[in-house]
Amino acid sequence: MFLKILPGKIKSSVKPNPNPNNELTPPINQKSMKKKNKKQKSEFDFCKVCNRNHDEGQRHKYFPSHTNSLSKFFSRFQNKLTEVRFFLKNPSFLRLELASRNRLWCVFCDCDIDELGSSFACQNAINHLASGDHLKNLKHFLWKYGGGMDRVDAFRISQADIAKWETKCKSLKSEAAPCGGTSQGLQSGLSNDIHKEPDYENLNNYEKNTLHHLNSNISNVVMPLQQHTNEYQVSRLEHSGVANVGSNMHVITSTLSVDPCDGTSLWNANNLMAYGNGAVNDSNCSGDVSHNKKGANQDERVFSRENISRGLQNITQISSFLLREAGGNVHSGAPPPWFEETQGDQLNVQLNQVSTLNKSGKLKLNPKRVGAAWAEKRKMEMEMEKRGGIVKSDCDPNWLPNFGRVWQSGSRKESRKEFEFEKQKQTNVHSLSEMPMEIKPYVSKRMVAQYLVPEI
Amino acid sequence: MSYLLTTLTKKKEIDTIIRDTIDKVLVLRFGRAMDALCLQLDDILAKSSRDVSKFADVALVDIDSEDVQVYVKYFDITLIPSTVFFFNAHHMKMDSGTADHTKWVGAFHRKQDFIDVVEAIYRGAMKGKLIVNCPLPPERIPKYQLLYKDV
Repeated sequence: MFLKILPGKIKSSVKPNPNPNNELTPPINQKSMKKKNKKQKSEFDFCKVCNRNHDEGQRHKYFPSHTNSLSKFFSRFQNKLTEVRFFLKNPSFLRLELASRNRLWCVFCDCDIDELGSSFACQNAINHLASGDHLKNLKHFLWKYGGGMDRVDAFRISQADIAKWETKCKSLKSEAAPCGGTSQGLQSGLSNDIHKEPDYENLNNYEKNTLHHLNSNISNVVMPLQQHTNEYQVSRLEHSGVANVGSNMHVITSTLSVDPCDGTSLWNANNLMAYGNGAVNDSNCSGDVSHNKKGANQDERVFSRENISRGLQNITQISSFLLREAGGNVHSGAPPPWFEETQGDQLNVQLNQVSTLNKSGKLKLNPKRVGAAWAEKRKMEMEMEKRGGIVKSDCDPNWLPNFGRVWQSGSRKESRKEFEFEKQKQTNVHSLSEMPMEIKPYVSKRMVAQYLVPEI
Repeated sequence: MSYLLTTLTKKKEIDTIIRDTIDKVLVLRFGRAMDALCLQLDDILAKSSRDVSKFADVALVDIDSEDVQVYVKYFDITLIPSTVFFFNAHHMKMDSGTADHTKWVGAFHRKQDFIDVVEAIYRGAMKGKLIVNCPLPPERIPKYQLLYKDV
């Protein structure tokens, strides 16, 4: 951030100065202003999307991290809304026991929407999403966190839609009336499963007729539980939204075992499917129920469910009756199918790969290490010795390792040379000392001089 | 004397072991088997030799043997026990804050200290360094007075 102080701008009196501190000299004025612009310290604010406090103020919503979090945020809420929308198009009755488990947290209004007083599935949620308050909150949210105003319709229910829904509900109610307020819901609550499409059509045809039979008969039939009724599983199923084989079965049994006067469980597509199948397959009710079970057993394996509940994804269940239980699977520790084909080769190849990887890993590390060249050379020698039996191991008795001496400055080769030199000197000294010492009389220089002088 | 570690008495043996230890740190302890401090060091060396066996080899050199005197002179060994480190026949120095970087003088306080020192040497050698820093804190490094040459 370079501040260019142009000569033309120095006159503060001419320039409209938002900075109240006019006493400051012009260049400093500019600086302080710019600084203030840069360092705008706004109050700490909490961003619901990023789930953190920030002091970036209005700028925060444009930051990439925020936009990422925002898109995730929206997609999550959308997933929750898909279920609501489903029931918007296909209203169905809501069973009282399950009503307490249906909740939706509206992120825009920061409120919990439960279904305690509603007779239709997601009734309160639908009403909320269509309400004016929710729209207001939604708009405010989009303004504050930036998502584009075009998203408004994605997160609310228009008046037209809700009107349609209400009419459907009324029609349902009227249909239910002769039946004593029981079932309808066959037409509603079907999963988006391709396997179930034909059944769906059938159900639509049968909805008015067979169900009545079904329900009236069910009240007389008490089926022994073939699977354990796990209510917890049921609730989990509703809330988790993940395809769960076991829970499907649980739901079926639970609905069957419950007093039918409350109305069949329309909340669970499962049951609908089960009933639907029963209706399709057999008109006889008691037969229906038992067949139901079987049908349900098969069906629940085949169809995918749950996106209706807090569905996150459309997880399709693969038909498990084709399951190769005989062949074993990951959990039983069996080898994978492709492995069986080329067993030996695969193993060997893998092992080789692994071993070469290991070796190459070592090689990669090595080139710069101390004495790398020496090591390579030595390895070669050793290999040759092993193979060819060449006796090269006896090396020069005077060989010395590469050593840097203590009191030596310079390279290590020098130290070795020094050492060699010292060694030589020592040996010379030794050899010198070995010579017999000749004892001679002491002759002083003066005497020598005297001795020598007369000769001249 | 440690029965777990090889004791070398000849120059040839030392040469062989130096030349044959490839890609591993070679720890040569110069000392006397009967000396108290040497015994302490030998004990630690013997106990940890297995732990470092994957990247280091340990051997003892008896300085009282004739053949070895060359090395005693060459390595300037004046205090015992002295430990010299080699890697691929190259001598490794360690700066432990003492006067002599070419060898480790004295014993170690714990096994772990020795292992740390050898590891530091190995790491440095693998990176291509001939001198490494000592990972031990000063209080655990034995102090000594180094006399200049023959003074």
